[in-house]
Amino acid sequence: MDTSSPSAFVNGALLRRYIGQKVRTVIQVIGSDTGSVVGKSTDDLQIVVRGPSPTPPLTTYLEVIGIAESDNSIRAETWTNFGNTFDPQNYNELCKLANGEFKHLFI
Amino acid sequence: MQTASVTPDAISSVLSNPSFDSSSDRPEIVVQVVDLKPIGNRYTFSANDGKTKVKAIFTASLTPEIISGKIQNLCLIRLIDFTVNDISSKSTKYFLVTKCEAVGSVLDSEINLESNSQEEEEATTEPKRQKLDHSPAPVTPVSDVKMDVSTGITLKPKQDFVSKSASQIMSEQRGNAAPAARMSMTRRVHPLVSLNPYQGNWTIKVRVTNKGVMRNYKNARGEGCVFNVELTDEEGTQIQATMFNDAARKFYDRFQLGKVYYISRGSLKLANKQFKTIQNDYEMTLNDNSEVEEASSEEMFIPETKFNFIPIEELGMYVNQKELIDLIGVVQSVSPTMSIRRRTDNEMIPKRDITLADESKKTVVVSLWNDLATGIGQELLDMADKSPVIAIKSLKVGDFQGVSLSTISRSNVVINPESPEAKKLKSWFDSEGKEVSMSSIGSGMSPLAKNGSRSMYTDRVLLSQITSNPSLGEEKPVFLSTRAYISFIKPDQTMWYQACKTCNKKVTEALDSGYWCEGCQKKYEECSLRYIMAVKVTDSSGETWISSFNDEAEKILGCSADELNKLRSEEGEVNEYQTKLKEATWSCHAFRVSVTQNEYNGEKRQRVTVKGVAPVDFAAETRLLLQDISNKNNNQASQ
Repeated sequence: MDTSSPSAFVNGALLRRYIGQKVRTVIQVIGSDTGSVVGKSTDDLQIVVRGPSPTPPLTTYLEVIGIAESDNSIRAETWTNFGNTFDPQNYNELCKLANGEFKHLFI
Repeated sequence: MQTASVTPDAISSVLSNPSFDSSSDRPEIVVQVVDLKPIGNRYTFSANDGKTKVKAIFTASLTPEIISGKIQNLCLIRLIDFTVNDISSKSTKYFLVTKCEAVGSVLDSEINLESNSQEEEEATTEPKRQKLDHSPAPVTPVSDVKMDVSTGITLKPKQDFVSKSASQIMSEQRGNAAPAARMSMTRRVHPLVSLNPYQGNWTIKVRVTNKGVMRNYKNARGEGCVFNVELTDEEGTQIQATMFNDAARKFYDRFQLGKVYYISRGSLKLANKQFKTIQNDYEMTLNDNSEVEEASSEEMFIPETKFNFIPIEELGMYVNQKELIDLIGVVQSVSPTMSIRRRTDNEMIPKRDITLADESKKTVVVSLWNDLATGIGQELLDMADKSPVIAIKSLKVGDFQGVSLSTISRSNVVINPESPEAKKLKSWFDSEGKEVSMSSIGSGMSPLAKNGSRSMYTDRVLLSQITSNPSLGEEKPVFLSTRAYISFIKPDQTMWYQACKTCNKKVTEALDSGYWCEGCQKKYEECSLRYIMAVKVTDSSGETWISSFNDEAEKILGCSADELNKLRSEEGEVNEYQTKLKEATWSCHAFRVSVTQNEYNGEKRQRVTVKGVAPVDFAAETRLLLQDISNKNNNQASQ
C-alpha cells in the first residue's frame, strides 16, 4: 500500500483545515461544467472540484482525492465512483471522528 | 511545644454548613484522630476538634498510611478532601475522609478545649456535645491529661488523676442503660464471613436490610408459617435467615427493616442455590432458642446497597432469565394505580407502571407491585414532573411487549440516590436527555422472536459475550444478533439428513426401496436432503460453533443440500464440494441466533443455533458502530 502521500478525510466544514494539502472526500454530484464539477458534501455544503473531469458513466456519489485549494474547492487528482447507495451520514461521522478524537489513527 | 493544633469549632461549622458539596469549598481543617479502629479493610475514628467529636471513616486507600504509622491514633490530621455523609436511616452524619495529611507529631491524649466539660464524657450520653453515639470503648482513658497544645486556646485546668475501677468506669459511662446494652460491650462479634455450620458459638451484629412477608404453607408434613430476613454486617457480607412457626411468630415483629441486632444461637446450612439470590454459601435458620437482641444505642456502618446497573439497551439478554437486575433511570411517566387479579388465589393486588429512560436513549416500563405501587409509587406520581432519578434493585425481566421489568418482594427502590451514576444521569438528562427522542427498548423486539424473523440489529452482541456467559439461555432461549465470519466448515461431517419432501421430518430408508415418513405415516419414493450443519464462526472478540438448519445453511453455502451432495460424490481433479465450502469460508454475515443450554453427558453445554442469516448491510453496521463509539464516549466522559 502506497502511503507516500496520505490524504485526510474531510467534509465541507473540515476542508478549510487542509488548504494546500491532499484531501479526500465524497460528494454527491449536483451539476458539472467544463473543467469543474459541483457537488454537495456529506454535511450539505457546496464543493467545487476543478481539474480533469471524471470519465462517465458516473454514479450519484463520487470520491475525489486532490489538493484543497480553498475552503470550498478541490483540485482533483483521482476520481472514484462510489455508487448510488451510499450513506453520507456515516461518512460524515467518519470525517468528524478522523479529525477529532481519533486523529492519531489517521494521518 | 507544638505549633499545630486542631481548628477550633471546625466540626460544628462543617456540620452546620451542609451546602458545601465539595471539600474544595471548605477551608482545610485540622482535627485529632481518636478511637482509631479497623473495620474490615477500612479504619474508623472519631474526629475531634477539641469541642466536638464526629464519627469518621478513612477510605480504604488511606489504610496503608495507617498501617505504616503515618496516621496514628491521637495524631492531628489536616483534612484535605472529605465528604459529609448521612448514616443511612439516621439523621446523624459522619465524615468520609479521602485525603488528609498528618500534622505535627502524635499527641499523648485527646484534646479537650471545653472549659466545663466532665472528664469522663467521651461516653455516649452527653447531649450538649451534639456528637454521634459511637461504640463506647471502655479503655478510653478517663484520666485525660489536658495538654497545652498551642497558644491561643484556653485549656481546662489540669485535673487530678483519679484511678477508677473498670466497673466504676462502665457504670459512669452507661448510667442506667439497660443490661443488654452493657452486655453488648463485652460481647465478641463475629464477622458473617466466618460463620460455618460446625461452630455454633457465635454472635453476629447485623442490620436487617430486607424483610420478607410472613407466608403460610402446607406440605406433606403439615402446615406452618415462615418468613425470612436478609442480614448485612459491617463488612458488607450478607446472609439470609429463615424462621418457621414459633420462631417466626416470635421474631416477626422484633425484626424491623433497617435496625441493628445481635444474633446468636442460629444454625447454618448450605444454601439451596435454586432459591437463593443472596451471595452466601450458607443460609441461617433461627429457632425458638435463638437470641435476637436489638442493638439500640449503637451505631453501625453498613456499606450502602451495592447496585450493579444495567443500561436499558442491554436488557434484551436478561429477558426471562433467572438473574435479577438493577436499574437506574429518569422517570418519564407514572401511571395511576391499577388493580390486578392474581391468578393463583384471585386476590386483587395493586400495580403501577412507571416509564424510565437512561443514557442509552431507550425507555422501559417498570411495574411496581403491592406496597411499592401504593407507597413509593404515589410519591413518584406526585414528583413526576420533576423527572427524578430512581434506582431499583432486584428486578425481574419479562418479555411483555418485548422487555418489561417487574418488582418482587425483595426489590428496593431509592428516589434520587446520592450516587455518581445518579448525578451523571441527571446531568445527561438536563443537558440533552430532556429533548432527545427515545424509543422503547421493547419496540425492537417481539415475543415472536422465536420465528427468527426479527431484526438483525437488535440485541446485538459480540461472540465473546455469548461464550463468556455459560448461564445464558438457562431457562428460556435467548435471542441475539451478531455479525461474524464463517471460519470453518468441517468437510467430513454429517451435513444433512434425509427428509420427507412433504413435512421435512426425518425419514428412514425402507427395506424395499423408498423412504418411510413417521410423521406422514406414508412411504415415499424419494426424499430430499436438508442441512443440519455445524459451522464455526469468528469475530474480533472470539469464536464459537453454531448449528445451522436448511434455509440458513443454503444461504451460507449458496446451494441446496441435494446439489452439494451431488458435488461431493463427483469424481474429478477439482473437488467442487471442497470448493463450495471454501467459498463459503471467511464470508461475513449478520446472524440471528438463539442460545440455549443442553445437557450432554451430564455436562451443561451452550448451544447456539442460527435462526436467520442476512448479508452484511454496511450502512446499517456502520450506524451500529457509530452508536457504540458514541456510547463509550458518553460512559467515559462522565467518569
